[in-house]
Amino acid sequence: MTKDELSTEIKYPPCKLACPILTDVREYIQLIAERRFEEALASIRNLNPLPRVCGRICTHPCEAACKRGQVDEPIAIPALKRFAADGPWKGRYKAIMPDKSTGQKVAVVGSGPAGLAAAHDLALLGHHVTIFEALPVLGGMLRVGVPAYRLPKNVVDEEIQAILDLGVEVKTGVRIGEEIKLTDLSEQGYKAVFVAIGAHKDRKLGIAGEDGFEGVVSAVSFLKAVNQGENPKVGKKVAVIGGGNTAVDSARCLLRMGAETVHMVYRRSRDEMPAAKEEIEEAIHEGVQVSYLTSPVEIFGEDGNVSALRCIKNELGEPDVSGRRIPKSVPGSEFTIDVDMVIAAIGQAPDSSFLDNELTERDKRIYVEDPYALMTTHPGVFAGGDAVTGPATVVEAISAGKRAGISIDLYLRGEPLPTTEQMEAVETAKLSPALIEKTRKFARCSKISLPAEARLKGFDEVDAVLSEDLATKEALRCLHCFLGARIDKEKCISCLTCVRVCPLGIPTTTKMGEIAIDPFACQACGMCVLECPVRAIDISLDPHSKIAREIEWAISRSQQVEPVIVGFFDLHGNFRSSDVESLRQDYPNILPVMVFGLRRVDTSDILKAFEFGADGVLLAGCPSDTDPFPETADRVKRRMAHARTMLEALGIDGARLEVCDMPDEGLVEKELIDGLIQRIKGPGQAR
Amino acid sequence: MIVLEQKKFQEIEKMTTGYNRLLVLGCETCAAMSFAGGQRQVAELASAIRVARKTTGEQGEVLEEAIARQCEPEFVDLIKDEVSGCDAVLSLACGAGVQMLAERFQDKVVLPGCNTTFLGVTEELGVWSERCAGCGNCILDKTAGLCPIARCSKQLLNGPCGGSMNGKCEISKDVDCVWQLIIDRLTRLNRLEMLEEIFPVKDWSPAGHGGPRKMVREDLKS
Ligand SMILES: Cc1cc2nc3c(=O)[nH]c(=O)nc-3n(C[C@H](O)[C@H](O)[C@H](O)COP(=O)(O)OP(=O)(O)OC[C@H]3O[C@@H](n4cnc5c(N)ncnc54)[C@H](O)[C@@H]3O)c2cc1C
Ligand code: SF4
Ligand code: SF4
Ligand code: SF4
Ligand code: SF4
Repeated sequence: MTKDELSTEIKYPPCKLACPILTDVREYIQLIAERRFEEALASIRNLNPLPRVCGRICTHPCEAACKRGQVDEPIAIPALKRFAADGPWKGRYKAIMPDKSTGQKVAVVGSGPAGLAAAHDLALLGHHVTIFEALPVLGGMLRVGVPAYRLPKNVVDEEIQAILDLGVEVKTGVRIGEEIKLTDLSEQGYKAVFVAIGAHKDRKLGIAGEDGFEGVVSAVSFLKAVNQGENPKVGKKVAVIGGGNTAVDSARCLLRMGAETVHMVYRRSRDEMPAAKEEIEEAIHEGVQVSYLTSPVEIFGEDGNVSALRCIKNELGEPDVSGRRIPKSVPGSEFTIDVDMVIAAIGQAPDSSFLDNELTERDKRIYVEDPYALMTTHPGVFAGGDAVTGPATVVEAISAGKRAGISIDLYLRGEPLPTTEQMEAVETAKLSPALIEKTRKFARCSKISLPAEARLKGFDEVDAVLSEDLATKEALRCLHCFLGARIDKEKCISCLTCVRVCPLGIPTTTKMGEIAIDPFACQACGMCVLECPVRAIDISLDPHSKIAREIEWAISRSQQVEPVIVGFFDLHGNFRSSDVESLRQDYPNILPVMVFGLRRVDTSDILKAFEFGADGVLLAGCPSDTDPFPETADRVKRRMAHARTMLEALGIDGARLEVCDMPDEGLVEKELIDGLIQRIKGPGQAR
Repeated sequence: MIVLEQKKFQEIEKMTTGYNRLLVLGCETCAAMSFAGGQRQVAELASAIRVARKTTGEQGEVLEEAIARQCEPEFVDLIKDEVSGCDAVLSLACGAGVQMLAERFQDKVVLPGCNTTFLGVTEELGVWSERCAGCGNCILDKTAGLCPIARCSKQLLNGPCGGSMNGKCEISKDVDCVWQLIIDRLTRLNRLEMLEEIFPVKDWSPAGHGGPRKMVREDLKS
């Protein structure tokens, strides 16, 4: 399939398509917008056993692809994921357990995200999984690499516990390859093995003085020591060599552990730096100094301790095969910085010494035959995560673990392994400048972080979770990619109504009246869906059939408290889930139907409500400053006026239909409801 | 297109009373484009009738159906079964559609839910205006493309009457005097001299004054 075909065929929103595990970002964002937080978590958790980890440290390729990013700023996807995963409802998620065990034993070597994800999926498929972990603690780099100020350890522990609760066994302190060899595992009855040992061996700097003095430390061993509470010795003036996340994390840890100056030395410029942009910014904000275009040349020492680092300036030359420009040193530009500690963070490779002759390696990584199926050259032994790719990301490791889960399950059942190639990265289509212009801009929620001084006192988490208000507001910025209008060509009569009512000018016509709606450009406002006189348009976000169904359902569940009022509430309002709850309590006679905009309610829906037995209908639209399509408001108001005329013609008092704007905060003014109830009950009757 | 307007609800309610099983039948072309009789309006009207029946206590089911065009026998025949099962059909088509139904369903009560108003254009969504009276002998070549038969209140053929004021017709300030428009347009086209030709007395027989009109194409008919 070509990229174009893929993006139109599959109709995945860009956010989902960008995610290595195809997380349905759009779905959980929509659920957050609907204030259905528990379901939002379930949507994430069904695919990803580590949502709280990912909500904090995932590199979020989804966000980079987000369509809203072309309009103003992308949706704050990780912050929303964390909101969904961290909320008080988090303990209520229940995995769907298998009916019965398959009785097959699978060994997982390494308890990083790759191993954990595989263990989780295999356990849910009914296999008996044992994780072997060399360290005394579980979690791999999540536990011993990423510092607590970004990823608190209790978060890692709790997510791991939930995986173990599925019946996964663990053996910590067992380094496979030492006492137990890979081959021993099959003798112990393990029918398949997943090797997910990560990449923990730091590369050497390869400069003079590296091995001669106390105070030259590898980043991974330093972070491991910090994360395991070993309180390693820290210098006063430290140089960190490298530009990846490991380097940045080491630098930020050093500041928290008493280093006075921390100097990062990176050989290319800031643009090429592989660490996440936000991380670099945070580090600089906390006081880390960065020397770009600089390479270390030699480490000097005094009395056996590091005393200085000699560096040289670089300039960027031609791009190499990876497209990054090769740094070339500038002769005569050497300089020296006084340091008493040097941390080397220039990349890691798997420590596969134990695999001697058992598995094939290439480029210092474990070799797998097919990057999707993940089987090594050794039948029944699969590998994935950093051990195969080299240092990568948590979500890629989870993806590998999930793929391994599928492969191992097929392998155990004697079925052929998948050969599907990994999906190519599909570029997000570009929106037209005219559409960008017409799309209403909404500011992205700003994150709440500890001030720099407070951070450096310890390892407290830097970023806070979003409040419900901010989270729903942020979720409502989503443009609902590919949930929009679709025309049934067989029904369309080319009346042009859709062309005329679309606030964004999406529907187009040919000379012969063939109407087309660009599914990527459409923002699912719903206007054309209702106005189409022949109902030739359907939509996936709040389809008309759903609204009609909800009215019927709401009324059928009504507790016969009179007067029965169907209340349509615009999800774009500034209200909380608790406001809906208190409405239900205070007014059991009001049956709420939540909609993405009153645009979605037609005259016929209002009549339907009366038909099903409602005594009144209330429509509360969002305040205009939160309405993504304010230009449609007037048309909607006139539609309601038409509905009122219709009701009057039927002999129903038009005042039984109340259309109002929501208050700046909350769902609806009490007086307004009381007024409506009063009018329905007739004069002289109190509630 | 033919522009239609749904009848007032009271009128519809009155004419449908007593027909327990009522089929509300939409027409998905001109009637739909007029927002008088497409599926959307069928749903709305059917629901309205049901609500009204709840208050009056009238029994019976109100069914909804729509076909592409009620003026074509083949389409009409496709809903034979639905029609046979009901007491009356409330057609939301133009008068032609209603009559086609009556013709095809000889024993069924067929009721008009719409008023057929005029042949016209959509000025914008929700605004339509008359342009043609179907006179059977088009004269637009002589009148700068603006029809005095459809758009002059008096159907004058040789220039405006004395009531034309500031470009408006004397019957209402909201009605343009089509003769003013014709003159303006001919002036723009530099063809004003065309008006010097006097129109002979118009033959109204193709307009239906010679009895109901019928058209037969020998090359096409069966
Ligand atoms: C400091 C740092 C910061 C990072 N920050 C981010 C970030 O912000 N976002 C992001 O997405 N990614 C980040 N990463 C990368 C991410 O942590 C890794 O890509 C990911 O953890 C890889 O998962 P894995 O399961 O393949 O391996 P690991 O997490 O490395 O786990 C491998 C496990 O296998 C164990 N093991 C090794 N050998 C054996 C053996 N022989 N027998 C038994 N067990 C063994 C190890 O002890 C370890 O527990 C960071 C990495 C580091 C080091
Ligand atoms: S706008 Fe919403 S659906 Fe579209 S890419 Fe962004 S988060 Fe995904
Ligand atoms: S509004 Fe409906 S019938 Fe009209 S052109 Fe659009 S899709 Fe076709
Ligand atoms: S759903 Fe809204 S944005 Fe999409 S085509 Fe219809 S009117 Fe336009
Ligand atoms: S002259 Fe006759 S056919 Fe021509 S536009 Fe006028 S009414 Fe219609």
